[in-house]
Amino acid sequence: MSNVESVAQAEVPGAAGVPVSPDGGPEKPRSLTGDAWDDLRRNWIFWAAAVLVVLVVVMAAFPSLFTSADPDACALSRQHQGPSGSAIFGYNFQGCDVYARTIYGARNSVLIGLFATIIAGVIGLIVGMAAGYFGGWIDAVLARGIDIVLGIPTLLAAIVLARRLSADPQDTGFWAVVFTLGVLTWTTGARIMRSSVISAKNQDYVAAARMLGAGPGRLMFRHILPNAAAPFVVVLTILLGVNISTEATLTFLGVGLKGNAISWGIDISTAAPYVRETATPLVWPSIFLAMTVLAFIMLGDAIRDAFDPRLR
Amino acid sequence: MRGQFPLKMAVGATAIMLLAAGCSGGGDDETSAADALVSIGIGEPQHLIPSNTTESNGAEVLAALFSPLVDFDADNKPYTVAAESVESTDNKVWTVKLKDGYTFHNGEKVGADNYINAWNHAAYGPNGNGGSYFMERVEGYKDLQSEDPDGDGPQKAPDPKAKTLTGLKKVDDLTFTVTLSEPFSGWRSVMGYTTFYPLPAAAWASEGVLKEDYEQAPIGNGPFKIKGTWQHDSKIEVERYDAYPGEKPKVGGVTYKIYQEQTAQYADLMGGALDVVTQIPIENLATAPADLGDRFKTSSNSVFQFVGFPTFLSQYSKVEVRKAISMAINRKEITDNVFRGSQTPATSFVSPAVAGYRENSCGEACTYDPAKAKAAYDAAGGPKQIKITYNADGGHKAWVDATCNQLKTNLGVDCVGVGEPKFADLLTKVENKEDVGMIRLGWIMDYPLMENYLGPLYGTGGSSNYYGYSNPEFDNLVKQGSAAPTEDEAIKLWQQAEDILARDMPVIPLRLGQNVFGHSERVKNVEVDKFQKVEILKIEATS
Repeated sequence: MSNVESVAQAEVPGAAGVPVSPDGGPEKPRSLTGDAWDDLRRNWIFWAAAVLVVLVVVMAAFPSLFTSADPDACALSRQHQGPSGSAIFGYNFQGCDVYARTIYGARNSVLIGLFATIIAGVIGLIVGMAAGYFGGWIDAVLARGIDIVLGIPTLLAAIVLARRLSADPQDTGFWAVVFTLGVLTWTTGARIMRSSVISAKNQDYVAAARMLGAGPGRLMFRHILPNAAAPFVVVLTILLGVNISTEATLTFLGVGLKGNAISWGIDISTAAPYVRETATPLVWPSIFLAMTVLAFIMLGDAIRDAFDPRLR
Repeated sequence: MRGQFPLKMAVGATAIMLLAAGCSGGGDDETSAADALVSIGIGEPQHLIPSNTTESNGAEVLAALFSPLVDFDADNKPYTVAAESVESTDNKVWTVKLKDGYTFHNGEKVGADNYINAWNHAAYGPNGNGGSYFMERVEGYKDLQSEDPDGDGPQKAPDPKAKTLTGLKKVDDLTFTVTLSEPFSGWRSVMGYTTFYPLPAAAWASEGVLKEDYEQAPIGNGPFKIKGTWQHDSKIEVERYDAYPGEKPKVGGVTYKIYQEQTAQYADLMGGALDVVTQIPIENLATAPADLGDRFKTSSNSVFQFVGFPTFLSQYSKVEVRKAISMAINRKEITDNVFRGSQTPATSFVSPAVAGYRENSCGEACTYDPAKAKAAYDAAGGPKQIKITYNADGGHKAWVDATCNQLKTNLGVDCVGVGEPKFADLLTKVENKEDVGMIRLGWIMDYPLMENYLGPLYGTGGSSNYYGYSNPEFDNLVKQGSAAPTEDEAIKLWQQAEDILARDMPVIPLRLGQNVFGHSERVKNVEVDKFQKVEILKIEATS
């Protein structure tokens, strides 16, 4: 007991002498997050990605800020008309405003990416943490479970699952896609969580908390999670981008969003056969999709670099 | 051919197509043009048994292997081919005399028994033939059917009362009579359909039971005989049958190449691996005239496209509502912009392919007038939301969406198109009386008579009357027309029946089809008939 106490005491920052900054004032203790933020602030990729992400999120939340045109107002008489003052991206096959449809299409993409990632995050968090914290046979079972799900080809399983879940042709397929992506993509997060928990639970502060009588719940969520969360959040950010792109892929293949939903995947798939006639209805949703996916992945990458001390 | 048109084209399996393309039968330089091989693109047929072939892919192949009793000239007048004469004095008892000298590809002589046995097999309910309903008019048809007492349940349907039609009687080896249950002046034309081809003795495993593998290599009485067997999802090869006594083909053989997608057919035509594409896909229509030059062709066919209102949906029960919806649809804009001029607006309930067609028999109801439509729609209290259900495998989404957009703009309603995976799913929902809204339907004629566009589609209990329309006055006129002694009188009565449709608007006529086809430089005299089949005796090789 006394042994542990003395170790804990020795670790208290500043006990042996408070570090003094050049101007003489006491410097705040540096945390990992603080270091990472310092690093991120100087990274232009982070800022570019962040601006794009904010832009897309605002677009998804308030599409009417960007366009006054109605994406559902279509007239065949305007079919494949080129860009003009009223429609800067021109009109598509059905004579709908390509710009308006592209702006309104952001909402489905972002929401599906977000919800699917939340589902994946919750499953990954629970499974990863349980496996890492309890170890033993629980870990063995859960880790093999992760391996099994990881072994399923995501796209193939998604096609089967999304089609099963959304058999009713009147359904837009939104929740089917969310659920499909959520239950198929949580494995990476769970693995990361598991390994961070394993390394964190052997830290002395955890042992200390345990000695002080903290139960498993308190230990996991108050002591281990905050210190193991950073890499997990990074993986989820990247996953969000990947999910948006997978949603578009499923929709393009005809098993994702359908019917009258407005989505980049639908617009890309309907414009594709007419690309020899006019390319703009295909090109613009593709660019927006690519930029959004890229933004989330770059954001995740930048944060990961900042949190990983080895890359500093 | 029942409403399943246009053909279903499944996606996938490009590997098989490449395989087929590799075996292109271009014909070598040594052979003369008369022995040349040509290739025609089709989809995988469902069957190659005449009585079970009601889709155009199988019908296309069977037309080369079999010779019909009657065929049709450019004016749709029937003329005899395998029959010497088809006569009747009262339109009820028909005497069919066969030409002497026709043989099956295995050398067997074609006689009256070959027809009678084939037709009995077609009509016998438990055989489940798709073309069975063509025999409905023959006396005794009802006795060959039986009803399953518990639908799809475990109990089996009892055997029907009889195995043969009482209306079919052999007179001598080359003559037989057909007795109809009710007089029908158009019976001669009906017998031109695929279902009425004869079957050789070699086709039967035992009396009334077809050999299981017959359709893998059908033996027919036509100008071509099959070479090898049906290579599923790849090709069907046929070669000239030299003992054929009728008009000789001008090529040595035909390879029917089987494709999953129409766009792949077009790509093969461009690449020189295919000679004839009978239906150029919409996606390629904008560029096809430039790609093909004078080898890009159109001809009229018998396709009629429309939407129906299921009678169990009360929101469409007022005729004013149905009429207003019809008037709010700009057909011309859709045929021009969605179908790129490959279809034309329909202003009548029958196709110009048949005698008795009158332009604009639908009248004001099929004339685009958005202002009047809106006023009438509001006055009649039409529904605020309109739904159009279609089968998603037939390429219908584009025009359904366009139609919905027009209705939204012109009537101020909300409109959605709902795609069911297959036509059968759509029909199941209609049978269960679900709220399907308007339903998409299409029709290719079975025989070139105006009656074929009336009775099966709108008659009470008609074989393709999916919306449940019933009007005794209409039924009566169609029946009287069918029994009329001359065609002119028949047409007059049928036209009166069509006028009733224009008044009641049980469906909205939308478009008339057209064959839009193309061919390679290796072939000439390519024609596609009103049944969407290549004229197999006319096609020639260029060198």
